[in-house]
Amino acid sequence: MSLNKLLERIAQLLPVLLGVSVIVFVMMALTPGDPVQIMIGDQSITPEQEAELRRGLGLDRPMIERFFIFLGDAVQFDFGESFYHRRPVGDVIAERLPATIELSLVALIVALVTAIPLGVLAAIRKNSIFDRIATVGSLLGVSLPGFWFGILLLMLFAVHLHILPVSGRIGFDAEVRMVTGFLLIDTLLAGNLRAFGDALAHLILPAITLGLPMTAILMRVTRTSMLEVLRQDYVTFADAKGLSRRRVLFRHALKNALIPTVSVAAIETGSLLGGNMIVETVFGWPGLGRLVVESIFLRNYPLVQAAVLFYAVTYVLLNFIADLLYTVLNPRVKL
Amino acid sequence: MTTLHKLLTASALALCTAMPAAWAADLTVGFTLDADTLDPANHRKRETETIIRNMYDGLLTRDSSMKVVPEIAESITQVSPTEYDFKLRKGVKFHDGSDMTAEDVKFTLDRIAKDGGMGDGVTSPRQGLMGPVASVDIVADDTVRITLSEPWPILPAMLPNQQIVSKAWVENVGKDGVATSENGTGPFKLVEWRKGDAIIMERFDDYYGGAADIAPVGKACVDRVIFKVIPESASRVAALLAGDVDIINELPPFSVAQVKNNENTDVLTVNGTRSFFIAMNMQGEFFDDPKVREAAVHAIDKDLIIDRILGGNAARIDGILSPDAFGSSELPHYEYDPEKAKALLAEAGYPDGLDVTMDVEGAFKDTAEAVASLLTKAGIRTKVVVGEGAQLSDKWRTKGAPKTGDMYFTSWGNGSLDPFDIFTPTHRTNDRGNSAGYSNPELDALLDAAAVEMDSDKRAAMYHDAEMMINADIPYLYLWVPQDIYGVSKRLKGWKPSADSRINLHDACIE
Repeated sequence: MSLNKLLERIAQLLPVLLGVSVIVFVMMALTPGDPVQIMIGDQSITPEQEAELRRGLGLDRPMIERFFIFLGDAVQFDFGESFYHRRPVGDVIAERLPATIELSLVALIVALVTAIPLGVLAAIRKNSIFDRIATVGSLLGVSLPGFWFGILLLMLFAVHLHILPVSGRIGFDAEVRMVTGFLLIDTLLAGNLRAFGDALAHLILPAITLGLPMTAILMRVTRTSMLEVLRQDYVTFADAKGLSRRRVLFRHALKNALIPTVSVAAIETGSLLGGNMIVETVFGWPGLGRLVVESIFLRNYPLVQAAVLFYAVTYVLLNFIADLLYTVLNPRVKL
Repeated sequence: MTTLHKLLTASALALCTAMPAAWAADLTVGFTLDADTLDPANHRKRETETIIRNMYDGLLTRDSSMKVVPEIAESITQVSPTEYDFKLRKGVKFHDGSDMTAEDVKFTLDRIAKDGGMGDGVTSPRQGLMGPVASVDIVADDTVRITLSEPWPILPAMLPNQQIVSKAWVENVGKDGVATSENGTGPFKLVEWRKGDAIIMERFDDYYGGAADIAPVGKACVDRVIFKVIPESASRVAALLAGDVDIINELPPFSVAQVKNNENTDVLTVNGTRSFFIAMNMQGEFFDDPKVREAAVHAIDKDLIIDRILGGNAARIDGILSPDAFGSSELPHYEYDPEKAKALLAEAGYPDGLDVTMDVEGAFKDTAEAVASLLTKAGIRTKVVVGEGAQLSDKWRTKGAPKTGDMYFTSWGNGSLDPFDIFTPTHRTNDRGNSAGYSNPELDALLDAAAVEMDSDKRAAMYHDAEMMINADIPYLYLWVPQDIYGVSKRLKGWKPSADSRINLHDACIE
């Protein structure tokens, strides 16, 4: 891809971000619920003290003025101060982001390494018992509520079998110097295998819970796409040439069959990176999803605005990466 | 041995070695929320205060029965209706080793009470909790005087909400430093804050011992305290059952039996401070009629709901105050009598009953449905409408502006257990929590007078009179005050839950 194309894609990002900024600001401002009243909670307060609190949060200014202040600051990467944490929202989000990314990537790996082989197997053994079990399994995977499935795993592996921890990212006695924020990497960098094992043990249940619906979706996509490809003339031709079945499947068919899988995986990863409130809540995972949902309920405007902008950038970038992968997998496609 | 078998064995070994070695005496609390900040002056959440309170002490504190006692203060003297002197204890040290002085107390209280007290023109969000504090002065090396602009008898009840910071340290580390690190005088000091995950503290060995009136006095019992953030109640219960945590807060009533039946865990309860009630829109179509409101109060069998839905873990109320609150008294009780309710409705002109809606937050939908079915049986056909908290608050707490809707199932917390903080906002004309749209000038005058009455017997009598007024007027259907329910490990000794929901771990031991 040429540099011009790359710049063009980046330029396309600007109107998207502006649009998202306007939408999220207006939606938050127009949603019923006054941040000041929520903050005061159940308490008697004088009108003067209430006005002072409102002024302190910058909510005494007209909405339009607040919007332009927000926009002016945002272009300088200043997203304001969280109403509740009383620190820059950029810092608060950055603290939670590595946990979400680490969990999402592990969930993605879990999903890919299970979904693709299962999908391929289901396709080449179409209508077999295995195919039927896999199809029903994938239906279950999509339908099972993450909340329920997560609790079920917790009760089995943490409460009854005592082999995995209930919640959190790592035990309290592990001392890990944060370099990247990703515990699996930081523990390895520190050469602390015990802490690495601990971090991995904490990741297993949330990653499986988070990855399950994605596994199911990717498996179905891979199966359908593989079946499609196996009907193509070039596969029949490859078979006719006398190539081994393995070579036909993995060298010729799978590469093309994976194109839709990659595309769906990229989009699904976007939603994973937004943080999954349910999984993060069930497993006490200190990620972004939980923080943002809590912030929405508290009408913590600056944090929600910054987080939504972050989501928008993530989605655009992931779509871009999906497009790039397309060109690698299928050179006929040009960006 | 197959390759798979080898892999599994290796994984199991890796997991076993990954299990952390526990400290000699760790006490872990499975807690609903993380702290927003560690700055005692810069937050508005009870959960944040609970965590901070284990690292920072205040001038005053409360024991588990909610009695206010001196903590860093040695004694408190009321000099005049608007002046209080606090004599400070000697030998109180901050975690950085420096001595706490009257200068630190003045700095702390000024930081909270003054406009722009936090610096850079920022006012503390806790200013409202300090009431009409006009000034804080050092009148002797070991004595600080708080002067109020008008009498405010609940100052001692409200002061446990504030914790003392070191002036030099705050000026040195700045706003961000105070938000993310700590230097209190409390029984534990911060080891590490894993944001969103856990706060790890260890015992402060130079601790002065804590409130003289709350035994035992001395250093904390456990080596470390960990507040582990587990927002989901089922996961908190799982963590307790698995032995990962020693205390969990907000144990759901439906999990009480499970925790009790487990051989290693038990349940502790304490009367809460949050009153539940249903606002009836007195400016609306139906509930402007006292007969309809009286019909509604006869339609609800509170005891039945407390027993069946809340597992018996609540105390019935017939006015706004918790039975434990100052000024609370026995009030006339409206018997459950659906036939009488129907008769009252007929008298009010609704012989065939009437159709209303009841707004409620999702968390209380089940209870609201139960109430609605009782109302419906008595002729007030009630449809429950679930809404989001802040949205419903906006709709109902209109400060006098016109409102829509018929009924609102809601609640109001009263952490200080003083009527001022719950009675005035929910019942005074156009006040911020008056969701019924109730207006009674006689009650307003009584509440205003009670708020500044210094004679506590007279004050209690005034609140009794006020309760009698609202019990007769029925602007709300007063329901119950739920208990706070905690799940605890049987290894835990010396800890009792407190009605203000604080989890003070100074006296807690692990066996």
